[in-house]
Amino acid sequence: MQLYKERLERVEAVMRGKEPDRVPIYAATAVWHGAYAGYTTREVLFDYGKCREAALKVARDFDFDLWAVIAGLEGMILCTAFMEKQPEVGVSSRFLVGKFHEVLRDVYTRWPGIELAENAHPQFIGKELMKVEEYEQLAENPLDFIHRVILPRMCEGLRDVGSPEYNATLAKFGMEVERYTSFFNNLIVGLIGLGYPAIPMSWSYAPLDFIGDFLRDVKNVVLDLYRHPDKVEAAVKALTPVFVKTAAISGAIPPEVKKQLGTDIVQCFFPLHLNEYLNPKLYNEFYWPYLKKVFEEVIKMGQTPVVLFEGRHDAHLETLRELPKKKVVGVFEKTDPRKVREVAGDHVILVSGPPNALLIGGTPQKVEEYMKKLLEDVKEGGFMIWPGVDGGLSRDVKPENLKAMVEAIKKYGKY
Amino acid sequence: MRMAGEEFVKALADLDEARVLELTRKRVDAKEDPFTILDDVRKATDIIGKRFEEGRYFVSDLIMAGEILKQVMDLLRPVMGKKKGVSKGKVVVGTVEGDVHDIGLSIVTALLEAEGFEVVNLGVDQPPKAFVEAIRNHKPKVVGLSGLLTEAIESMKKTIEEIKAAGLRDKVKVIIGGGRTSEEVKEYTGADEWADDAAVGVRKIKELAGVA
Repeated sequence: MQLYKERLERVEAVMRGKEPDRVPIYAATAVWHGAYAGYTTREVLFDYGKCREAALKVARDFDFDLWAVIAGLEGMILCTAFMEKQPEVGVSSRFLVGKFHEVLRDVYTRWPGIELAENAHPQFIGKELMKVEEYEQLAENPLDFIHRVILPRMCEGLRDVGSPEYNATLAKFGMEVERYTSFFNNLIVGLIGLGYPAIPMSWSYAPLDFIGDFLRDVKNVVLDLYRHPDKVEAAVKALTPVFVKTAAISGAIPPEVKKQLGTDIVQCFFPLHLNEYLNPKLYNEFYWPYLKKVFEEVIKMGQTPVVLFEGRHDAHLETLRELPKKKVVGVFEKTDPRKVREVAGDHVILVSGPPNALLIGGTPQKVEEYMKKLLEDVKEGGFMIWPGVDGGLSRDVKPENLKAMVEAIKKYGKY
Repeated sequence: MRMAGEEFVKALADLDEARVLELTRKRVDAKEDPFTILDDVRKATDIIGKRFEEGRYFVSDLIMAGEILKQVMDLLRPVMGKKKGVSKGKVVVGTVEGDVHDIGLSIVTALLEAEGFEVVNLGVDQPPKAFVEAIRNHKPKVVGLSGLLTEAIESMKKTIEEIKAAGLRDKVKVIIGGGRTSEEVKEYTGADEWADDAAVGVRKIKELAGVA
């Protein structure tokens, strides 16, 4: 348990805005562990036994500080739909895994061995499920609208509300959620045994992203902002308290669990999607004020927002200064971390890392050079590495490059 | 007439959808030469591209621009009849195998068509042989390989290798496009150029086609 404690202290220090003994590594992937263990993408996503075995093999062979296997695609709509009335289902359906897709037959996602080749990466495509005339209905009662209108359009298995197939699909979905939950808990226990800390996570979302990702699709929501700004605004307002509530419910970790895990940090996970798309005017009017409101409420609950700033966030960096200091962890995908430091300072706890392209196409020597420079430039004041910063470790990442990254952090990441 | 042109260019560059469509209809009704209108469309897309590269426009603006352009082209196509303008050349574009994303692909297609290229859009999840066949059939100046996923990098590499194996690599310029592309990825895949946004992509395609 010495290793568990050591790693946990390292990560906790950074998440509280301090410098630990050295820069910690927060590794995450959907499928890379499978490729590393010699499985196809299909196998590692649909066979929980293989997924667990592969994840534990990586845990043994590599020395990360946090290791998260997220074997699913964006699924916040299920999580949102079920959180209030059935939190167990809500919490465990945060990511849409392959087995859920098999049962629900959702229109958003494509999977290896079903719609795609065995070794293809699963993909979230999204779809326009809500018509522009339905914004008012969404704003009036978001949860009711999701259940009655969207879920039947989203899932072939739920097309006909009240039909035998509808009920059977929901029952089967419940069973798959249970299977996934027990796989996941089992994996966590295995990882704890190997000295990997488990820091609880809670679930929330940027309100406008919810509309873009699950209801109107990205292109349409952007056009709506130009053509029907009032409708969008009313809907975003109505969705804001929904995502405060999902965080409150999913982040209510029982004290005995916190004690067992040795930490009272709760990471509230936010992947941002439209940030790169929106010009500052639209961002500041429709995206940021509502996201900021959710951040503030989540922080009030004592949780730590862990935010994936996808794409380029450059144009919106100034707004981060409106956040309280040392309360929000920010993973920056394509924004230069040096620039984030300079503009946002202590208002964001900085996370960055080598991009997948370097870990795929580079050499151990190139990786070391990159890491040395990165660490020298930004480690001061607390910093964390997220390898494969663009979406987590990709299937084609070369193990020797990842090993070189870990060694470089041990060499250049000490304080 | 020139006044109408200037106002049209400004409205389009400023992404004033309603005004652009109103002016387009007016000009078409006034039997103005559709190719004059098309010239103005190109002027406006140049301004849009420039504003994007200067950091004044963002992806949301390009999406809106693509949407307006599509509607303008729909209004112009019937009056252009069989007569074709001076083509800047053919470009084949598609999303590579294993990736089914198409936002970047659609924006680039709309901008290239507005620029006067003949665009052959193969669609998403296209295997290397689809690109090879399209190069044989259409003899484009430039081929654009699109992909959003990190996994698309390997597909792009494989596609370019097959273009080479088919003996077509020196007949065509290849640009890769998508959020995960970079100078390193360009080197790794063996492409001639890369772009991680649509406006830069269109500028580089013009350069590769020798019409910049």
